[in-house]
Amino acid sequence: MIESGSIRGAGLGLKRELIPQIQAAYGERLTASIDFLEIAPENWIAAGGKSARQLEWFVYRYPIVCHGLSLSLGGPDPLNVDFLRRVKTFLDAHHIPLYTEHLSYCSDGGYLYDLLPIPFTQEAVHYVSARIRQTQDILGRRIAVENASFYVAAPVSEMDELSFIRAVLEEADCDLHLDINNIYVNSVNFGYDPHEFLRGIPGERIVYGHVAGHDRQAADLIIDTHGQNVIDPVWALLEEAYALFGSFPTLLERDMNIPPLEDLMREVDMIARLQKNSEAQSQARAKESIHLTQPASPVAAAT
Amino acid sequence: MTVPTGLSAFQQYQLQFAGHIRDPKNIARPARVAAKRMRVYREIVYNNLEVSLAGCFPVCKKVLGKRLWHKLVRGFFVHHRSHSPLFRQIPEEFLAFLGQAHLYADLPPLPGYLNNLAHYEWIELDVSAAELDDDWDHINVHGDLLSGKPVLAAAMALLSYDYPVQAISPRFKPGEPLQQAVNLFVFRDADDQVRFIELNALTARLLSLLQMQDLTGRQALELIAEEIRHPDPEAMKEFGRAVLEDLRQQGVILGVHGD
Repeated sequence: MIESGSIRGAGLGLKRELIPQIQAAYGERLTASIDFLEIAPENWIAAGGKSARQLEWFVYRYPIVCHGLSLSLGGPDPLNVDFLRRVKTFLDAHHIPLYTEHLSYCSDGGYLYDLLPIPFTQEAVHYVSARIRQTQDILGRRIAVENASFYVAAPVSEMDELSFIRAVLEEADCDLHLDINNIYVNSVNFGYDPHEFLRGIPGERIVYGHVAGHDRQAADLIIDTHGQNVIDPVWALLEEAYALFGSFPTLLERDMNIPPLEDLMREVDMIARLQKNSEAQSQARAKESIHLTQPASPVAAAT
Repeated sequence: MTVPTGLSAFQQYQLQFAGHIRDPKNIARPARVAAKRMRVYREIVYNNLEVSLAGCFPVCKKVLGKRLWHKLVRGFFVHHRSHSPLFRQIPEEFLAFLGQAHLYADLPPLPGYLNNLAHYEWIELDVSAAELDDDWDHINVHGDLLSGKPVLAAAMALLSYDYPVQAISPRFKPGEPLQQAVNLFVFRDADDQVRFIELNALTARLLSLLQMQDLTGRQALELIAEEIRHPDPEAMKEFGRAVLEDLRQQGVILGVHGD
């Protein structure tokens, strides 16, 4: 059984299409850089039969992150407390150390099964933060919320996205699940500088990251399909994030147009490589600063 | 739709936003939102929903044809409020909507067989994911099926349909219900595969007795012999033993209750 320790290194989203391939390549070189896997609890809660047996197989071999879809943290309906209790039971039963959700909403009296944007208002900050706190109380643990991608800027917004994220994290006192691809997608969809956005992120709250590919529809519109390879500007942003905040566990999302595992592993390997580089660089910097702060000569040190 | 008052401005906006995605014909998009970008949401959200439903109901989609199918999916999105946060249960929400579909004036008339067919397509998914496992520790797989109490596969459903659901296709759309309902037993076998077995009325009755009551095979057969006033209950029992053994062979009956 995997200990409920923290999530580390590089990970891959566990899609059903990939299950036989990952099982077949388990323990082999191909999958060596997979340190953990991620699932949506909404797809595995209350699933018996083959699903239950598959989950058991993976839980026994890999640390698992739960990345939720249906909590509707920003939605107008009361928080679904019954569902949250089921999530808690699920996390506990499978020793899952991390649960993250989206800064978005997906219900309006009923579920729409998709993620819609929250207008960035002061009232929304208070509302969402209170619901995150309520969630953390029910689960008895901290959660991380993810910056979401979106296509429509609400005219009723009173602040920009970065201010909204910062305000919610502060008021809810929760962790950040930083989606690097979503920063890039939104920077194109709303015409801002993704590097500047990244530098404004409260790095001390990052516990987890995502990278993914997307579909470019027009010069000013990207659809966040998770259906293509990760593009270079997104890799560059991830590298910059590691340089700014230190490396953090990061997962490759691929939900559509899923290629063979070999192809996906090249991208998981890339995450692992960037993490190693970043750690090597920060170690080198640490050594350098030790040199600089050490006394100039052994004689001086002795006195 | 009227947006409720008493909500924050941002929530009124959210309800209008979601309402427009559900029902763009009747609910305007929020003020000052770009039409082109709003369309992205309308398409993505609808398409994702449609894909989930088409994945569970491929035959319904085929027999209805594109136009009618999309009208139905749109009707579901407009009229039904889904209460399950679990994506796997979207098809169940759709079934609940189909049961009410006749109430909505904006929906075209639907074929009589549709609810049966949709249920038949959905049950495979439901049985495959049922959280019920065979309790092999308390089953004697070789036990005598007449003197013992037969145990059925745990993840299963005993069904009766008014239409020949397995035969429905674009080339066979029954206009009328059957004279005699078709009985199906659906179960998850030891390899987690879902299997369908068509049953005659007597076997269906036998399985329903074994499913509902704590009966030995003999007791169940005696009850049926009484119900149908069988002239030779002993012959009935021998015939019954053969039926039970055949069901054990097929994996429907796992064995008898062990101590």
